[in-house]
Amino acid sequence: MADIPVMSFEDVVKVYPLPAGDVTALDGVSFRVDRGEFISVMGPSGSGKSTLLNMMGCLDTPTSGDIYISGTRIGDMSDMELTNLRRDRIGFIFQYFNLFPLLNIIENVTFPMMLKSQKSVDPERGKEVLRSVQLDEKLFTHTPTELSGGQQQRVAIARALINNPDILLCDEPTGNLDSKTGAGIMDLMTELNRNGTTIIMVTHDPHIAEYSRRTILIADGRIVS
Amino acid sequence: MIFWEIAKRNIRIHMLRSSLAMLGIIIGVVAISSMGILGNSLVASVSDNLKSVGDSVIVTPYAGGGSGHFGGGGGGQSVSLKITDQNFQQIKRVSAPNVAIPVYTTSDHMKIGVGSDDIVAPIYALPTKDVPDVMKLQAGDYNNGNSGCLVGSTFAKDHNLKVGSRISIGTGGDKGSLRVTGIIEERGMSFDISTDNALIVTPEWFENAYDRSKDYDEVVVKVKDGDTATVKTSIEKQLNKHKDNKIVSVMDSKATLASIFEAFGMVTTFVTAIGGISMIVAGVSIFNIMMMSVNERIKEIGIMRSIGTQKKEVMSMFIYEAAIIGVIGSVIGGILSLVAGYAISVLMLQTTKYLFTLATAISVVEGVGFGIVICLACGLYPAWQAANMNPIDALRHE
Repeated sequence: MADIPVMSFEDVVKVYPLPAGDVTALDGVSFRVDRGEFISVMGPSGSGKSTLLNMMGCLDTPTSGDIYISGTRIGDMSDMELTNLRRDRIGFIFQYFNLFPLLNIIENVTFPMMLKSQKSVDPERGKEVLRSVQLDEKLFTHTPTELSGGQQQRVAIARALINNPDILLCDEPTGNLDSKTGAGIMDLMTELNRNGTTIIMVTHDPHIAEYSRRTILIADGRIVS
Repeated sequence: MIFWEIAKRNIRIHMLRSSLAMLGIIIGVVAISSMGILGNSLVASVSDNLKSVGDSVIVTPYAGGGSGHFGGGGGGQSVSLKITDQNFQQIKRVSAPNVAIPVYTTSDHMKIGVGSDDIVAPIYALPTKDVPDVMKLQAGDYNNGNSGCLVGSTFAKDHNLKVGSRISIGTGGDKGSLRVTGIIEERGMSFDISTDNALIVTPEWFENAYDRSKDYDEVVVKVKDGDTATVKTSIEKQLNKHKDNKIVSVMDSKATLASIFEAFGMVTTFVTAIGGISMIVAGVSIFNIMMMSVNERIKEIGIMRSIGTQKKEVMSMFIYEAAIIGVIGSVIGGILSLVAGYAISVLMLQTTKYLFTLATAISVVEGVGFGIVICLACGLYPAWQAANMNPIDALRHE
C-alpha cells in the first residue's frame, strides 16, 4: 500500500469542443503525487493550471487518459461517486475562502462532516480542528463576514481538513491576503505537511511556491518541468 | 439537517421578499378556500330548505310544454287546466302504496281582525288525513272542522296570528271566516306546496267557497316506498299514453333537486377556479423568488458541490425553502379563509350554521393543500436548475 500514489495522472488529455474549433487544455499530462508531498503547480495564464486543478479535484473528467486517486480510477465514476470522492478524499482551499455566509464558523467547518455522516455532528471535532489552525476560540460562533481574510482562510483550511482527506488542493491560497498574513497561512500549511498532509497548491507567486518541496511547471497544457 | 437550517436562514435574511411571496400564497388560499366554503354553505342552505320535498312527485295538468310548476300561489291560473277525479284515481292506483294527495290551490283577499289591511295570500286545500304527510305543526292542531284552517309560520309571524285567531276570506269576507287551529312549522322553499306564507283549508270548505268539485290543481305523491323516478314513470305511462295528447306533467322532486345541486356544484367549482387564478399568480411569484434565490447563490452552490454536496442535497435546500414559504403561507391562508368564510356567510346567508361542517374543513384542507403543492411545484424547477449546475462554472461565477 505504501507505494500507491495519492494521485496519479497518466497521459491525460482534455479537449474543450468550441464552435470556433477544439481547444486542447491539457495535452498528455502525466505525473504522480506521493503521500506526504507538498507540490506547487505553476504556469502562466492559459497554460492549463485551472483545468489541471479541476481534474485533480474530480470536478472534471479527462477526454482521454486516466486519473487515479489513491489507486481508484475516476474516469468511469458517476457524478454521485465523484461527489463522494471529493467529500471524503479531497480538501479544497480557495483564493476567496468561499465560506458559507449563512453558517457560523463551527457550522462552516463541520459542514463536510455533516455531508458524510448525514446527521448532526459533534461540534467538538470542529473546535479541535479550528484550534489546530490557530483560530481564536472567541470567533467560533461568529459568521464569516465578521472575520479578517487571514482568519477566514484558517477556517477554510479547517473545513478542508475536517474529513481527514488524502490531499489538500489549494488554489492561490494567499492570493487574497497581505504578505504577512499570507506567510502565516503558508507556515500553517508547511506545518500540516510536516504532520503528513499531502498538499498540491496552484500559485502564480514564486515566493509562495518556495514553501513546497516540488514544483510542477505547466505551459500550453503540457508539463515542462 | 444543515440544508433545512440553511433554507430557514435564507428565508429569514430575505424576510421582506419571503413575506411577499407568502402573502401571495395567503391570498390564493383564502380565495380558493373561502369560495369553497361559500359554495358549500350555499348548497347546505338550499339543501336544508328543500330537504322536505326530496320524496315527492308532483303531478299538474299538462299545459302544452314543460313541467316547470313550482307549487304554490296558483291564484289567477287558467281554470280550464285541472286534474279530473278520474285522473286522480288513476294516479292513486299506479302510485300505491304511496299516498297520492289531491290539492286545490288559489289565492284570495283576506282580512285579519277588524280594521286591518286587505291582504292577498295563497290558499291550499288538501284532505285533513293527508296533511300530516306533507307538513308538521309547531302549534295547535290539524283542523278537523270546516271552519278551521292552518297557517304558515311566516304568515302567522307577519300578521301576529295565534291559534284561535280569525281570518275573513274573500273581498269583504264573502267567502266566510276561518279560525286558525294550527301553525305550520317552517318548510322553506318547496316544489309541492309552499306553506310558509299560505293558508291550508279543508277540501270541503274550498269546494263550497270556490264552487269546485273534484277538479284538482295538482296531485302530490309522497313516495315512501320505492323510488320517485319509478313513480313518475308509472304515472306518465298511465296518463300520457298518447304522445300528442298528454294529460299531465309530472315532476320528480328528487331529480329536480339533483339538477339544482349539480348547478350549485358547477357554480362552486367555477368560483373556486376563479380563486385558483390568484393561486397561479402566487405560484409565479414563488417561482420568481426561487429563481432569484438560485441566481444569487450560484457561487455558494459551486462551493457546496465542490466540497462534496450531492445534487439531491442542493435540490433539497431549495425545495425546503419553497416548502417553508408554502406551508406557512398556506396555513395562515387556511386560518384566514375561515374568517373570510365566516364574514361571507354572515353577509350573504345571514347565518353561520353551515360554516363548521365537514365540507368547510375539506374546502380549507383543499386550499391549504393546493397552496403547498403550488409552492413545491414552483420551487421544483429552480431547485433542479441549482442542483444540475456545472460546479466549475458555478465556482467561477462572480
